[in-house]
This record gives sequence, structure tokens and C-alpha cells, in this order.
Amino acid sequence: MGGQGKGKQETALVEIIIISAVTIAGLALQFVIGPLDFGILAFPVNLVLGLLLLLLIPFKFPKSIRRFGSGRVSVTLLAIVTLMAIYMGVVPGNDVKHSWPFALIYLMTMVNLALAVGKRVRKFNLKRDHGFMLNHLGLLLLLFSAGPGSGDMQRWFMTVAEGATEWRGERAGVNEPVELPVAISLIDFSMEEYPPKIAIVNKSTGESQPSGKPVFIESTDGNSGIIAGWSIQIDSFIYRPMMAPSAFISAKRVSDGEMISGRVSCGNIFQQFAILDIDDRFCFAMTHPEPQKFSSQVKVYTKEGEERTGIIEVNRPLTIAGWKIYQYSYDTRRGRDSEISVFELVYDPWIILAYIGIGMVMIGSLTLLIKGGKRE
Amino acid sequence: MSWNEFIYFAAGSLLFWISGTVALYRLRRSLTGELLIIAGLLLFSSFIALLWDYIGHPPLRTMGETRLWYSLFLVLVGYVTYKRWRYKWLMAYSVLVSSVFIFVNLLKPEIHGTNLMPALQSVWFVPHVTVYILSYAMMGAATIASAITLSSGEKRERELLPLIDNLVHIGFGFLVLGMLMGAVWAKEAWGDYWTWDPKEVWAFITASAYLIYMHAHYTKISRREALWILPVAFILLMITWLGVNYLPAAQGSIHTY
Ligand code: HEM
Repeated sequence: MGGQGKGKQETALVEIIIISAVTIAGLALQFVIGPLDFGILAFPVNLVLGLLLLLLIPFKFPKSIRRFGSGRVSVTLLAIVTLMAIYMGVVPGNDVKHSWPFALIYLMTMVNLALAVGKRVRKFNLKRDHGFMLNHLGLLLLLFSAGPGSGDMQRWFMTVAEGATEWRGERAGVNEPVELPVAISLIDFSMEEYPPKIAIVNKSTGESQPSGKPVFIESTDGNSGIIAGWSIQIDSFIYRPMMAPSAFISAKRVSDGEMISGRVSCGNIFQQFAILDIDDRFCFAMTHPEPQKFSSQVKVYTKEGEERTGIIEVNRPLTIAGWKIYQYSYDTRRGRDSEISVFELVYDPWIILAYIGIGMVMIGSLTLLIKGGKRE
Repeated sequence: MSWNEFIYFAAGSLLFWISGTVALYRLRRSLTGELLIIAGLLLFSSFIALLWDYIGHPPLRTMGETRLWYSLFLVLVGYVTYKRWRYKWLMAYSVLVSSVFIFVNLLKPEIHGTNLMPALQSVWFVPHVTVYILSYAMMGAATIASAITLSSGEKRERELLPLIDNLVHIGFGFLVLGMLMGAVWAKEAWGDYWTWDPKEVWAFITASAYLIYMHAHYTKISRREALWILPVAFILLMITWLGVNYLPAAQGSIHTY
């Protein structure tokens, strides 16, 4: 347990000084070189780094190195990383995650974990150590693939028109198409929307009524409801391709029986919007339909001749040859009549390691639920 | 079985759960209480199953439907944890929180018309949020226990420290599960498991504060001194849960809830 002796206090101080010195060296690097470019960690640099970390596990190094695998050091590292994260969470527009001090502390955390795992590997006792191993080795794998591993990550955006096949992708913010090892042929883009809604809107402020607690009525055939003292009936709702949704409504003021009826529409690029005036302050209006689900039916090819057909939608990427293809966007001005689909293509060769790490820590956290705070 | 019948199932389940919890407190043997709680769980699950059959897809699409799962999971996990640790108050707490969700569903159903944006329509949504809520409950209890310990003498300390450590470790287990489910989900939805989005930054801060507590006995910090970490960590947790959206660095976060 806690080191009480004077000798231990001194070693703790030495460790804190060394860790602080590394952080300060990181700050110096930051000023001289600028932010860390994760690209320099790309294969084979990350592989070598990973192997070096791996070597820390089976071999017994001299005490001067082993001390960085102690629980005491981990507390210092965690404290520093917490402070950095607080800076990240409070100061707008910072780039701590790409900074050298952060990267060096991250590296020392991996070293700490590898040495601590190594210590337990050498006197491994399944009953005592399984939880520790799952949590710390799993975390090490996860930190490695999410950190140095991300040097190999590639992300591209690809816009494909219905009926067309596309090989070229672009990086975020860079307008230079590059030919990729995978191609997408878009058979069909389709979208389901939530029905638009009828509201009573203040014409000068745009605020939906009743003020502060707005009520909406879904615009579907035959639906009805009450908003701010008006009983509203949707007589018919029409929404055809290449047209804006529009509804014929009749409304009756509950207090005096006054009737208003007519057409409202939210409008889109195909058609003008339409409102129905109540008086010079309020009107009936329709909100824009919100996307419920959008998906692309695709055929995907690789340069190696692999082929796959499938449907890609949000939360359901398609995987082929190490690439994951995500539904990213569409022509939002045309909405469900979009004739293009935008995909994000992600290549992340370390993902399997990351998932192994995630799986290990998940099982490890189950051991926490079962064992609680009992000391080993 | 549609939402119209929900009130009968909800009232029945609540009756079972509340009387079961009372029985756990009142009776010497726990069997009656446990059977009542299990009966409530079965009744509530059967509503979900029948609703599922009626609408023809898993009821995970609207806010009302996801709250249905919260209500079930809270009591289920509360019961499993009770089986393991015998904390009656935890059973009572999960029934209480679950009934809040049930009442929200009865009073403000949002059973249709809530527009869940496509990225939120994921199987991970419910478990991700549910285990976080469980973790918050544990950490809240640990914070209260730490405040009691810090304001009283040695004797309470010996009694409460093991409880506090249990709560923090269990709570941290749930916290990690919540974070990792979030990570897997983010990977499926956005192609990246961790983007240092403001909510993620604060979740990270919270987790590392608790990690400091869990590793503190390796330093010369005494156990009593280490207890001070818990109220601080709980404030960080509250910032993560409720406060992030007000921070200047959080404008444009993907976590709008
Ligand atoms: C999933 C997250 C983590 C969990 C659940 C966890 C949990 C634990 C537990 C239960 C122990 C054993 C404590 C005891 O024997 O009483 C331990 C020890 C230790 N942990 Fe962690 N920890 C985690 C993350 C970390 C991190 C991020 C670091 C590094 C910064 C770290 C470094 C260490 C070290 C060095 C030890 C001492 C090993 C030894 O001396 O044998 N842990 N941890």
C-alpha cells in the first residue's frame, strides 16, 4: 500500500519531476514544431512503437525503468491528463488533442500500463489478476489503436449520383478528387420523413404558439387537434415527388366558432411555401418534414475485383476490404427527391485491435460489478 | 396490444415492484419481495413484447418507446445488483427512478411524433443511456456516503469505507460500459469511436477523476484524504450530465440531450 517512508517520498518526488519535465519538453516542442501531425505515426512507425511497448511486458527491466509502471506514477499521469482534459473542455477552439504535451503524457500512460501489466504477467494468478489484466491490457490495446493507430486512418467523402458509379473521393475541406481503391455504384437513394406539422406562428417573431409551450399537429390525412384555442382538422394532405408537402386544413375557434380554411405548405425548392392568415399577428403554417431514415442501395467494388451489394443507412455502414462505408448526407435542398447520396469512407486497419480492447475492458468492467471494491 | 392498455400494465408492474421493495424491507426472508419484483418484471416485459408484436418492429423508435426500456432495465439491473450486494436502498432507488419514467410515459407519452434523428435510432441508444443512469445513481450514493464519513469520526469510517469503495467500483464499471457502448455506437454512426466532442471530453474527465480515486491508495494520500476526490468527481459528473451544453467550448456538440 501507500509508501510512507522517506525514501519512498523521495522517489515519488523524482517521478513527479520527471513526468513534469516531459510535459514541459512537450510544450517546448509545441512552440518549436507546432501541433503534432498524426501522419508521422503512420505505418511502420506505429508498428515499431507498438512492438516496443509490447517488449515492456515480458522482460524484466532495471528498477529505474520499472518504477514507471507503479500505481503511484499512474495517479500522477491521471492527474495531469485530467487537467489537460479540463482545459480541453473549457477553453473554446483549443487543439489539445493534437498537442505534444498531450501526446507525451498519452505515451507515458501506455508505458505505465505496459509495465504494470508486465509486472503481473510475471507472477500471474488467474483468480487474482484476471480483472486487472482485462482492464489494463484491454485499455492499452484501445489506447494504442486510437492513438498511434489513428496515423493510418483514412477518411474520404464520396458523392455519387443515382445510376452512376464513382471511384473518386475527397478529403474533408480539400477540393481535390483522388481515385480510391473502392468504388460505389448508387442504385437508389431513398428517404423516409416524419410527417410535417401544422403550427400557429407569430408572424413577426416566428415563434410557435402557445408561446413557450408550442403545440403541433402532425399533418396526416384526417388528423385533428387543438392549438391555442383553435380546433384544427387536416382535411387532406398531399406530398408528391418534386412537389412541396401541402395540406388543406379547416380550423374553428373554440370560443366564438369563427372558421378559417385553406392551404398551408412549408415549401421547398420545387414550390413556394403557403401560410394561412388568422389575423395580422398570427397564421397557420407547416414545419419542414424531418428526416426519419435515409438509405442508399449500392453496389460496391474494389480494385481487387471484390463486389458487394447492400443497403447503407445511418448506423448501418457496409464493410468491404477493410473499408467501412457510411451514409453521410444527400442533397438536403431536394430532401427525399435527392438524386445523389454522399458517403463517408473510412479505412482503419487497427480497428480490430480497438474492438478487442473494447471487448476486454467491457468484460473487465463486469468483474468490477461483481467484485466491487475488494482489494486483491 | 397498443399504448392504450399501457396504464394497466404500468400500474400492475408498479404495484408489484413497490410492494416487493416494501416486503424486502419488512419481511425477514427476502423470497416474497423477490417474487413480487420478478412478477412485475414479467408483467412489464410482456407489455413490451405485445407492443412489439402489435407495431411489427422493436419498440425503439420514439422517446416513449425508449423510456419503456429504461423503466424495465432500471428495475432489472437494480434487482440483479441487489441479488449480488443486498443493498435494499438500491432496489428502492431503481423502482423510484423507473416509476418516474413510467409516469412521464403516462402523462406525456410522445408515442408518436417524436422525431428521433436517424443517428439516434440505434440499438446502442437505450443501453448506453441506461447504464450511465445506473452509474450516476451509484456515484451519487458514494458521494453521500463520503460526505457522511468526512463529517464524522473514525468509527463511521471503518464502517463506510468498504461500502464507498464498492459503490465507486460498481459505478465505475457501469460508467466504463456506458462509455464503451457509446464508442461502439459512434463508430457505427459516424466512423469514429472517440472524437473529443465536448460531452466526451467531460465524460473522460469524470472517468479519470474516479480512476484517481481508485488508484489513490498507491500514493501516500491517506484514505480519508482520498475521500475528498469523490465530491469533486461528482461535480464533474454533473457537469458532464447537465452542464456541458452551457460551456463555451460546447457550441456545436453532437450530444444535444
Ligand atoms: C478501465 C480503467 C481502469 C480500471 C477499472 C482500473 C482498476 C484498477 C484496479 C482495480 C487496480 C488494482 C488495485 C488494487 O490492487 O487494489 C489497478 C491497479 C493499477 N492500475 Fe488501474 N485501472 C484502470 C485504468 C488505469 C489507467 C488508465 C492506468 C494508468 C494511468 C492504470 C494504472 C494502474 C497501475 C499502474 C496499477 C498498479 C499495478 C500494480 O502495481 O500491480 N490503471 N487498477
